[in-house]
Amino acid sequence: MQKETIIPESRDNAFRDLIIKMPGGENLLTCMQCGTCAGSCPVSHEMDYTPRQIVRMIQLGLKKEVLNSNTIWICTTCFSCSVRCPRGIYPTELMETLKPIAMKEGIRNKNAKFDTVFADVVKKNGRASEFLLFSKYSISEPGMIKQAPFGISLITKGKLPLSVAKMDDTRELEAIFKLGEENDGMETEK
Amino acid sequence: MVDNEKPKNIGVYLCRCGGNISDVVDLQSITESVKGENVTVNIQDYLCSSAGQEKIKSDIEKGKIDRVVIGSCSPKLHLETFRSMVKGAGVNPNLLEITNIREQASWVHDKEGKDSVNSKVRGLIKGAVARMSSIEPLVPLEKKLVDRTLVVGGGIAGITTALELADDHEVILIEKQPYLGGHMIGLSKTFPTLDCSQCILTPKMVAVHNHPGITMHTQTEVADVAGSPGDYSITLKHSPRYVDIKKCISCGACTRKCPAGAIFLPFAQTVPQAYMIDMSKCDRCGACVKICPRDAVNLDAKEEITTISVGAVAIATGFEPIDPSFIEEYNYPSPNLLTAIEFEEMLSAKSKTGMRLQKADASFPERVAFVLCAGSRDFTGKGRKHCSKVCCIYSQKQAQLVKKMKPEAEAWIFYIDMRSAGRRFEEFYHHTQEKGVNYVRGKVAEIIPKQDGTLMVQYEDTNLGRKGREIFDIVVLCPALIPSAGTKELADRLGVPLGDDGFIEEKHVKLDPVNTLNQAVFAAGCVLGPKDIHDSVTEGVSAAHKVSQFLGKGMILIPPEKPMILECNGCGDCVKACPYNALTLSGGKAMLSPLACTGCGICVPACPIKGIEIRNFTRSQLKAQLKAMLEDAPGVVVFIDPYAYAAADIAGVNRKQYSSLVRFISLPSIHVLDADVVNAAFEYGATGVMLIEGTTDEKLASRSDDLYKTLKKDTRKHKKPLRYSHIETAQYEKLTDLLNVFASQAGAKAEKRSRKEKGEEKGEETMDA
Ligand SMILES: Cc1cc2nc3c(=O)[nH]c(=O)nc-3n(C[C@H](O)[C@H](O)[C@H](O)COP(=O)(O)OP(=O)(O)OC[C@H]3O[C@@H](n4cnc5c(N)ncnc54)[C@H](O)[C@@H]3O)c2cc1C
Ligand code: SF4
Ligand code: SF4
Ligand code: SF4
Ligand code: SF4
Repeated sequence: MQKETIIPESRDNAFRDLIIKMPGGENLLTCMQCGTCAGSCPVSHEMDYTPRQIVRMIQLGLKKEVLNSNTIWICTTCFSCSVRCPRGIYPTELMETLKPIAMKEGIRNKNAKFDTVFADVVKKNGRASEFLLFSKYSISEPGMIKQAPFGISLITKGKLPLSVAKMDDTRELEAIFKLGEENDGMETEK
Repeated sequence: MVDNEKPKNIGVYLCRCGGNISDVVDLQSITESVKGENVTVNIQDYLCSSAGQEKIKSDIEKGKIDRVVIGSCSPKLHLETFRSMVKGAGVNPNLLEITNIREQASWVHDKEGKDSVNSKVRGLIKGAVARMSSIEPLVPLEKKLVDRTLVVGGGIAGITTALELADDHEVILIEKQPYLGGHMIGLSKTFPTLDCSQCILTPKMVAVHNHPGITMHTQTEVADVAGSPGDYSITLKHSPRYVDIKKCISCGACTRKCPAGAIFLPFAQTVPQAYMIDMSKCDRCGACVKICPRDAVNLDAKEEITTISVGAVAIATGFEPIDPSFIEEYNYPSPNLLTAIEFEEMLSAKSKTGMRLQKADASFPERVAFVLCAGSRDFTGKGRKHCSKVCCIYSQKQAQLVKKMKPEAEAWIFYIDMRSAGRRFEEFYHHTQEKGVNYVRGKVAEIIPKQDGTLMVQYEDTNLGRKGREIFDIVVLCPALIPSAGTKELADRLGVPLGDDGFIEEKHVKLDPVNTLNQAVFAAGCVLGPKDIHDSVTEGVSAAHKVSQFLGKGMILIPPEKPMILECNGCGDCVKACPYNALTLSGGKAMLSPLACTGCGICVPACPIKGIEIRNFTRSQLKAQLKAMLEDAPGVVVFIDPYAYAAADIAGVNRKQYSSLVRFISLPSIHVLDADVVNAAFEYGATGVMLIEGTTDEKLASRSDDLYKTLKKDTRKHKKPLRYSHIETAQYEKLTDLLNVFASQAGAKAEKRSRKEKGEEKGEETMDA
């Protein structure tokens, strides 16, 4: 994403104030930008902003950049950052807090789409299926066509089973998903 | 009760404190409700200003008033000022008292409704006025001071204090280690000028050793403290060295003979210059005993106990590094992973490598990393909150030393904020940059030891927003600096509070930086917080000046609030109860030795016929205060001793909110209380009563449980909550939590009672606390 000059109009204090009341946001204002989180993060090099930068951007109220970042989707919830942060900030929880907000704001970048497809597959079958994930994601994300030869080679080598396992009774699972959707994913707000 | 013939005219002076008080408290309405026949009320912008003080003085001189109640900031700040002012105007100083309506009201209840804060302040001032009309003028007692000072700790701060004092006052300096010098003797060069540490320190250590006014004991610690400020009797514990310091001439004959390598000189410049034995290695063959030409070795030496008499104590016990092994991701200890202190020592007088910087395999490191803030600036409870202050600068010094020893070697400093405030420090930073030291803005996330003895450091370069990984030969951790072990025990024995960071609390953070809350105890150096040599020396000089000023008076004033024995049947119960042996039976009556008495009040409830009262804290005086305080509105009465009061002051300074129902009554100790007073509090409308004490004097605190149990039993009829709690000065957060919980419990209970009384309790009895 293009990095714009930060001007008063880029900042959304209401966004900052909302996040600091949500899980992971509690101590956010005391972040000293030490970088322990990003230095600990196994995947920060894949992120467009490191966890530290996300924290900083929330402090400034840079809502658009935060919610469009791939950071929040790439986080593996390994908790390394949260365990080590000397200010008691939990970037892991922060990522979990930001995802539903991004969805609600209608942000559908490829990382968000991947998560949606994954959730869909699990919802329908009660099991994850790499084949379904792969194919459905390719449909929603045209760029994936480049990966097709790789996918085929995986199939021919038997690394990507075509059969789809399914749960016997998915009713309880559906109820859980419904609950989540009804609450808009925001039920955790305090 | 003492009652002077002429009526007392009380002047109440309320301070706006430039809005600090008046923005929250409606002083005008307080004035209206407090003023009366013999009570005048006046409001000033700043009472502590000369205009404010002049007003009080002129009211006294005009004969308008003869007693003063002040409503302002904590008495800790200006009580002495105000009292000496009224003394000058001809009024006995203890006829002026301060009611703390800033730290205990406007700063801690500003989030509550104005009405409740006003109601509290009104109660406090009315209570103070009632108290003022009931107390008697007293003259402090004088006690002769012992003109001798104990300096605890032989680092640069203690050395400076001792040397600065010793020309005029006798000094005893004790040091826990077998040698003087503290951390400084283990330093290489010293920032910001890079002069050699031992070169500037050794002359001072020798001067201490040779000064006729200084008695020095190494391997010595304080075992017990008795007596009182100005006249302490302190027990010292001396661990054996097995070599007589006075006899040993450091010829080294013993070391050459010892088969076990157990007898040694700690390092060449050691002061005192004497060998010592490590008994864990010694196999008692006696070779050293035989060879010593001076007959200095005694393998049977034992720990010794001595007692000294001193008037003042200066604490200079310095710091120690936090043990970094709690930071799991740093993998300390590991080969080639050092603390900064270990790094320094390698290049210092204490070096065991011949002042060579080397890796575990004795080769010179090509790449060295310095990891700052290891355990500092940590608010998770695992490390320490404070900044250790010197690491930013000494790590740059160490990096310069690496570059100086080998210009092609790489030195990296991983920092969060490069703190180089202070004269000559920014220049030092700039100079280090010029030397080619590599600065990375980012706290190290993990350190992984490799098979080959190198260490992998992973971090984010926060300036670039990129993760990085580097391999180093030596990694130096700059650990949080914390008060040395034993500081708390020593401070407790001397009745000196610590801050919540564990360092000694200054009498006033800014204005009385080397005094403590005990007038006879002073502090200097890193025991007051991490700092460099320059600042440690400055504090040593200051502490010496303050000690000298204190001792120079020759006398110490003792608070006059002592017991008076009004009736006595000679049963001797008070004599048995007094923890300080201040009471004796003479001719069948109890007799007080006022100078031994601390005014703790334990004798008051001990007397079965209620024949003892503490002057100005008599039962009837306390009751009068309680009655007036609770007249308009009920509240929670909290009896509080001076140490816990100091915690409430810190809560105030930190604006920690708590319920405005809380009304403190300040007592010299909670032990003056008996059921009479507590029952009276309940009768006058207290919804609950708390006893909070912070004293670390075991003689008192060990009896508090009994006091509480007795009071609980004897006030049971009121069915109102009573609590006791021990809160040390540092625990101000615990204090406010406790007050909040208690106030709401007491409130709920009171509400339930009132509903019951109104007969409304049918069916809904769920509101229990
Ligand atoms: C790695 C490192 C490098 C540094 N480099 C520099 C520098 O280059 N320049 C600079 O200006 N400052 C430097 N400093 C800071 C400097 O070390 C301190 O300012 C100084 O040592 C403080 O002196 P002190 O007397 O207060 O404490 P300490 O040096 O800690 O001395 C306290 C003494 O009290 C003794 N003691 C402790 N408890 C007791 C007890 N209960 N009874 C009796 N004795 C006791 C201890 O054994 C010790 O000898 C450095 C600090 C560190 C950690
Ligand atoms: S570790 Fe904590 S304090 Fe440091 S940058 Fe990350 S969130 Fe901020
Ligand atoms: S929890 Fe997420 S952001 Fe934190 S270190 Fe792990 S992957 Fe990175
Ligand atoms: S002085 Fe520097 S390295 Fe030391 S704790 Fe403070 S900021 Fe960290
Ligand atoms: S007040 Fe305390 S020290 Fe004084 S006589 Fe009574 S019990 Fe003893």
